[in-house]
Amino acid sequence: MEEIGKRRVAAALVIVVLLAYFLVCAFPLQKEFVLVPAWAKSLSVASAAQTANASARQKVVSEAKASGEEVIPFRLGDRYGYFSPDGNILFSAVADYGVALAPDAYATYDRLSEGFTIKSPYGAELARVAAIGYPFFAAGRRFVIGPDQMTVSELSESGAVKWSYQLASIATAFDASASLAVFGLIDGTIVGLDPAGKAVLDFAPGGSRIAGVYGVAASPDGLLVAAVTGADKQRLVILEKRSAAYRVAYHRYLSSDYRRPVYIAFTGDGSRLAYESPSGIAVYDRGTKRETIISVPATTRLGQTMQGGQLMVFLSGRGDTKRLVCTALPDRRVLDVPVKASLAFVEARDDSLFLGADDSLVRMDFEER
Amino acid sequence: MNALSVRLHRRSSLSLAIVLSCGLSFAAVWPLSPPRLAANFGSFAKGRVIVGVALAGEEGSVRASEDGEIAFSAEEGTLPSGLPSALGSFVVVEQRGDIAAVYSHLVPGTLSIRERKPKAGDAIASPGKSGWIEGTGVVYQVFDRRASSWVNPYLLLPPLEDDVPPVIRSMALSRGAKSYVIGAAASVPQGTYRLSVDIADPSNAPWSAGALAPYAVRLSVDGIEISQEVFDVAKAKGGKLQLFAQNPMAADDLRTAEGRYELAERLFTRGRTVIEVQVEDASGNKRTASWAVLVE
Repeated sequence: MEEIGKRRVAAALVIVVLLAYFLVCAFPLQKEFVLVPAWAKSLSVASAAQTANASARQKVVSEAKASGEEVIPFRLGDRYGYFSPDGNILFSAVADYGVALAPDAYATYDRLSEGFTIKSPYGAELARVAAIGYPFFAAGRRFVIGPDQMTVSELSESGAVKWSYQLASIATAFDASASLAVFGLIDGTIVGLDPAGKAVLDFAPGGSRIAGVYGVAASPDGLLVAAVTGADKQRLVILEKRSAAYRVAYHRYLSSDYRRPVYIAFTGDGSRLAYESPSGIAVYDRGTKRETIISVPATTRLGQTMQGGQLMVFLSGRGDTKRLVCTALPDRRVLDVPVKASLAFVEARDDSLFLGADDSLVRMDFEER
Repeated sequence: MNALSVRLHRRSSLSLAIVLSCGLSFAAVWPLSPPRLAANFGSFAKGRVIVGVALAGEEGSVRASEDGEIAFSAEEGTLPSGLPSALGSFVVVEQRGDIAAVYSHLVPGTLSIRERKPKAGDAIASPGKSGWIEGTGVVYQVFDRRASSWVNPYLLLPPLEDDVPPVIRSMALSRGAKSYVIGAAASVPQGTYRLSVDIADPSNAPWSAGALAPYAVRLSVDGIEISQEVFDVAKAKGGKLQLFAQNPMAADDLRTAEGRYELAERLFTRGRTVIEVQVEDASGNKRTASWAVLVE
């Protein structure tokens, strides 16, 4: 009898503990992110319709202009253009050689470019530039790189050269914020220029058998510069502006040994840094100084954050099969879909994701359920 | 002592030091053979100074000039960072002695990057016209990492077969906006003048960015050497390109608006003055010209 009583007490204790566990340690189910298709467009169909009907194109341009909403540039191989978030394609054209694209302006250029015209997405001529080299736009700023890949100039709104700077060697990487234009060079130097074209950063991280800069990124506030530098051994270096000078805030050797340009970028809010690594996309959190790896084929095309920085979006891989990956930071994958396209791009705005795949443009809206 | 070392002995001791510091082996080869120069170190193209050699050629392969290791390669188009590649498809090969050799404007997709450690003479890619280049071929540049400067590739490569000396077309004395071309002007007023010379080294390339630059220009006045420009190195300093290891000169100041090479500034007093210019090309061919000037 005593034995049976003990068993009953033990059973009762187990039940009590289980009940207590479910009551005290209950963890709510995580919300699911769902992608809801909003629209899909064929670029060739839209382009043919606009060519056939000039007034229809004018109507699209007028509506987009009147809405005041920022239009989105796209580039798929040689094809480029703009569309509005509600699915109106302003135009879609094919560049003979190159095109510099920004939300507010674009410029096409020839291989032997000795000048180009900067136009607004609506077709208005903004500036004519007489400069030898190729234009490139970033952070609302307009630059030209010379035929030697060493002479860089910034253009004013009117297209005049504000300043020119001769880099010590060939530029292999670039990024810009409103206050800083940063270049990585083959000699392993990271050069930062202020808006007046004055060098405010000239640093060679060293520490590798072969010097070089394979990727560089500037935070949106211009206070941080990150770079993948050197080969054998390759390393990640993060510089932080303290008082007037940039100093090493973080560095670590990487397992990679890339000998080609490497993807590296800060997120839009500057809180995280994403860069290519052999095991996937590495995400460095500025706040916690911790890194997480998102294991995807990591020849990344673009990284963006959505939902107030909660989600990070990548288009990853190369060839005809790419993958669209969304990760709820730090490392919960909420979406991983193959994208069958030889040319693709992705752009994220607020809660919407715009995907370009060969001839198609698609908008999908994120919903949390 | 072979032909290359003889050539080197003729050059300045500084050039020799650069070559020795680079750990030169005489196994170096021209990236395209036979080398047909379209532009050389110090020549001008579209208002900029070339700090390498442009070799014309459509056939064959671009070959590694020395044993090395591929440090960086990129294909024509826009790099992931959004930076366009004005060099088109290009590759950087790390050589001994902290030297980086750059081969640019290659045919996209032909980079033999599987050969990560090419030997001298190994094919790297096909000569092309990717990026900003007027003809078809390869632009070859040599960067000295220790000195952070571009080195004239002539110093590292076998001598060119060339027995045609450079051409000296004219000498001019300039003061302010006034310019006197010697020979055309019988005399000049006394004062301080900038001396400039119109020189060129002929090129037989099918396309050329302009006249080739000399290797060295020496200026003497009344038998005293007052300037020597040796096209050995170029280096960016403070965001500006400078040429010459000794007496560096801003690249922007190297040539006059008329295309003459600026040599020196000198005070001329009354009397008869003899100005002599000696120009030497990379193969050691020399041409000398002298002018007698009457200063009033």
